[in-house]
Amino acid sequence: MTGRGLRLAAVLLAVAAFAYGWRVTRIDLGELVTKAHLVRPLVRDLLRPEILERVPRTQEVAVPVALGGAPPPLSPARGPRVEASSRSVRVGQEVELRGEGFAPGRPGRLVWRDATGAPSQLAQFTTDARGSFRLRVRIPDTLGDRGELVAVVVLPETAWRPSETLRLVAERMVETVFLALMGTAMGVVFAVPLSFLGARNLAHGTVGLAVYGTSRTVLNVFRSVEPLILATVFAVWVGIGPFAGVLALGVHSVASLGKLYSEAIEAIDPGPIEAVEATGASRLQVIRYAVIPQIVPQFIAFTIYRWDINVRMSTVIGFVGGGGIGFLLMQYINLLLWQKAATAVWAITLVVALMDYLSARVRERVV
Amino acid sequence: MARPFLKVEGLTKVYPGGVRALQDVSFEVARGEFVVVIGLSGSGKSTLLRCINRLVEPTAGRVWVDGVEVTALDREGVRRLRREIGMIFQQFNLVRRLPVLTNVLTGRLGYVPAWWSLVNYWPPDLVQRALDALERVGIRDKAYVRADQLSGGQQQRVGIARALMQEPKLILADEPVASLDPATSHSVLQYVEELNRREGITVLCSLHFLSLARRYGTRVIALKEGRLVFDGLPSEIDSHRFRQIYGEDAVEVEIA
Repeated sequence: MTGRGLRLAAVLLAVAAFAYGWRVTRIDLGELVTKAHLVRPLVRDLLRPEILERVPRTQEVAVPVALGGAPPPLSPARGPRVEASSRSVRVGQEVELRGEGFAPGRPGRLVWRDATGAPSQLAQFTTDARGSFRLRVRIPDTLGDRGELVAVVVLPETAWRPSETLRLVAERMVETVFLALMGTAMGVVFAVPLSFLGARNLAHGTVGLAVYGTSRTVLNVFRSVEPLILATVFAVWVGIGPFAGVLALGVHSVASLGKLYSEAIEAIDPGPIEAVEATGASRLQVIRYAVIPQIVPQFIAFTIYRWDINVRMSTVIGFVGGGGIGFLLMQYINLLLWQKAATAVWAITLVVALMDYLSARVRERVV
Repeated sequence: MARPFLKVEGLTKVYPGGVRALQDVSFEVARGEFVVVIGLSGSGKSTLLRCINRLVEPTAGRVWVDGVEVTALDREGVRRLRREIGMIFQQFNLVRRLPVLTNVLTGRLGYVPAWWSLVNYWPPDLVQRALDALERVGIRDKAYVRADQLSGGQQQRVGIARALMQEPKLILADEPVASLDPATSHSVLQYVEELNRREGITVLCSLHFLSLARRYGTRVIALKEGRLVFDGLPSEIDSHRFRQIYGEDAVEVEIA
């Protein structure tokens, strides 16, 4: 066949391949426009992450009533106060409460807070024009014997405070950064010895070459397993949570760091090795004095870079049960809580960008 | 000659690629000689020096150093032998990121307990000796500077101090001044010459320039394509010999 004929055949083949590909992947660029309305609320919510929330200010006063034998709390010396008809009450009894000094004409509620701080509402009231209220209430028998009665009056003004979502996201983000750190550490611990065994220039003799071949194969096999699959396996093995993520990232880091490290070892100047060998130094001494000083900067740089990558990766790992922010984000997405999801997404973006910047700066300094 | 200090007999080295670097090289060196090895690049000078401390494994032939048959030693034997042979390199081969002092101390690695050296602990008397060695080559003040901060000539002097730490019986110098300018070359070779004269250390030194060979060598051997083509006094190399060694088209270049 002539050169032109070959070229024509290649072009026809390529056209056919792309035509088929277009059909099987159901590419329809028009959908990007016609279905834009579906994505609009999502995008809008993603741009409005829940960072701060508005909460009404309240006046809270403990009711000086002893329940279950505990001594009654003291009334505050100043400000709003509540008095009870009886200072010690048993379950099922009625008690009359008198409050004064509260904001006038505001709704309030009587709340039972148990030992864990979880509130349950017992009654509602409204303060009069002078900021006082009267309330008769029966103590229900569903209450435990540890906790306190609190009168809460809602004020007209509100205050901003960091949202519950933000708190949760921050907590998970910290977990994620440490998850990545532990995974990286695990990678380093195993990758360092493997990298020395898997460096061509340190392999001597038949045994050395066999060890070299084996460690290279091990590294290549581990590296070819997707961290997502590793995380799935470990989530089944040790249960969903950050530990599964640490193991998945760790195994993956062993493989990728091992390869980077051993390539760094292979790239060193052989001169100092020869010189130290020529002094009658042992194998370990040669590694200590001629190899390690040459590779330390690269090892540090690669390790920090890996940590950076692991933070990014642990997000995805979390989706399949590896814990951290990814797991939280997946829950928000599944519950269609786009604003909460947005908080997580923005937090990830911020932290990843920060890690990226810092790791670049550190690498600049050590190399 | 009584028992020669260094004896090389039928030394042959064929590299895995089939390159015949040395072919049946034999010569003897008496204690205290300063033997210069000359020859073109690729004539086998480096291989010859490395066969003597077995950084390169000879294919055939035998080598004796001070009565010990080097070519018959096992791994541990080779290690012990190397402790007593100092080596100086064209590219200095210092560990660039380590301080000068540590580089000098590595000359002693064959003697210090393994665990001490692995945690970089050096007994004070050794540190003192390393400082003295640096004093001798005139760079005592650079002891705590990183090796790569030094000029080429200074780095080669660190290389000499490192060899000195070994208290060697023999110094192998592989093109020690090929990376240096003429003035620095002389100062470095003078240190080697002083070790040879004052302490009676036998020196086997490969050099590019015949003028340097004439100036420092008590004897010259020449290699051409892996074969020994000359063995005699520096003064015996006339223009005929010169062309034999370096080829018909060669012109002798003087180095001041």
